Amino acid sequence: MKKSIELINVRKAFRLVHDRASSLKALALAFRKPKAEIIWALDGVDLTVEYGETLAIIGRNGSGKSTLLGLIGNIYRPTEGRVIVNGRAAALLELGAGFHPDLTGLENIYLNGAILGIRTKQMREKVDEIVRFAELERFIDAPLRTYSKGMVMRLGFAIAVQVDPDILLIDEVLAVGDEAFQEKCYKKIEEFQHAGKTIVFVSHDLDAVRRVSSRAVWLDDGKIKADGDVNNVVNSYAEGITSG
Amino acid sequence: MTRKPPYFILYSIMLRELTELFRYRDLLIQLVIRDLRVRYKNSILGFFWSLVNPLLQVATITIIVKYVMRLGIPNYSAYLLVAFLPWTFFQMALMDASQSVLMHHDLLKKVYFPREVLPLSTVIANLIHFLLSICVFFAYLLILGTPITIGWLMLPVLILIEFLLVCGIALFISCLNVFYEDIKYIVSVLLNIFFYLTPIMYLSEMVHKGLTAIGYEKWFILYQLNPLNAIIIAFRKLLLPPYKVPPERTIAEQFKNMPDMAFDWRFLAIAAGVSLIIAILGYAFFNSRKWIFAEQT
Repeated sequence: MKKSIELINVRKAFRLVHDRASSLKALALAFRKPKAEIIWALDGVDLTVEYGETLAIIGRNGSGKSTLLGLIGNIYRPTEGRVIVNGRAAALLELGAGFHPDLTGLENIYLNGAILGIRTKQMREKVDEIVRFAELERFIDAPLRTYSKGMVMRLGFAIAVQVDPDILLIDEVLAVGDEAFQEKCYKKIEEFQHAGKTIVFVSHDLDAVRRVSSRAVWLDDGKIKADGDVNNVVNSYAEGITSG
Repeated sequence: MTRKPPYFILYSIMLRELTELFRYRDLLIQLVIRDLRVRYKNSILGFFWSLVNPLLQVATITIIVKYVMRLGIPNYSAYLLVAFLPWTFFQMALMDASQSVLMHHDLLKKVYFPREVLPLSTVIANLIHFLLSICVFFAYLLILGTPITIGWLMLPVLILIEFLLVCGIALFISCLNVFYEDIKYIVSVLLNIFFYLTPIMYLSEMVHKGLTAIGYEKWFILYQLNPLNAIIIAFRKLLLPPYKVPPERTIAEQFKNMPDMAFDWRFLAIAAGVSLIIAILGYAFFNSRKWIFAEQT
């Protein structure tokens, strides 16, 4: 049977260039090639995610979590191996990507929706719901620069959940907003789960991980260190941190 | 199974990329709307600011050419504007496009979308300005009482050729600028130079006469092989009637008795072909690198 997401022996290298020739002058003046260090952000990852599964990815900073999400979300291409994604994956990577401060909330809804790949026609039908969900009825015609940080986040999330992808990629977004708004976010995620969507969820918040997902993957230094039931993986990860 | 020739593979890859771009056409439209909105959001005169700049430059050049250099071409301002407006489109679109990808670098790291919408949307936003300025130019000709030539029917074709050329160059420079930020400076220097190399302030006939005078008449063919020159020449020849210089009105000796040369369609056809090739190559070049933009730090 086809899987929702399949990663087969995926490796992803980034060139970390020290003192990169960012101008032609620097390039011409450099007698040697600029020193480039190859960083293997992911080093041989095999991962299968079933349809409708919610998978949490945990690990220290720089362990490759965001790279993994970027590969599934089609932002990066793997250096080696294969990434097979069946269905449309949409990222909730950072809310409000592409928002413009001089445009009104309403204008930004259409722009951000288009960036996330939603047709303008569909956005027109959803715009009222977005405004209501973000609780911004009174401010929607004001330029975004007059919004508070929380208001921008709320608007970003309200649009992002309209994408209705087959696979939802979430990177640390639940850390924003007040508790009431976070509760709303959890509800929305549960809705996605009930609708049978695949969710890949990256977070440092282990309580959030336990609450949302049933399966967890522990990434360490670009490799999968543990994969299985969320409680087991989270516990061994927590132990791993405290014992150093 | 027979092996497919490589050009067929190239063609099918490009077709796939274009299909994906078409799927994201609403994003292209929204980015154009954003560009147009943001540019004049806080100004009262709005679009007219984008007209004020070329109009003031044209007024200044007209005064100098008419009263200082005394070339003596009747309605010189019309002959200047007809070349200046397509030039302004060329210049502004490329200046904006060179920055377009780098400006959205944060966005590239977060969201998937066909990257070419970034340079293309800046080109299209500038194209809309160009179209509006052409309307103003049309009104200006009516006020001057200049006859509207049949060549105006060719205007969409001229605009399309220039659009292809600008898109192609925009794709090249917006991509290169991600890796080498000198590109935007090089572009602005080259644009300054090409403003003088292109028949905008002066007529292509003067180039011909000047080259003939020093025995390099053949070079005029080379001059017209530059698609930008051919396009600008076509704008003037097709949208305005031939000029007449009364010999007694010009003080520049070499421009006396300089008849308007007939429009040479061959060079426009070559420009169309070259522009199309540049657009295709630009797109292929951009596509070959667009997925490493996000990895660039």
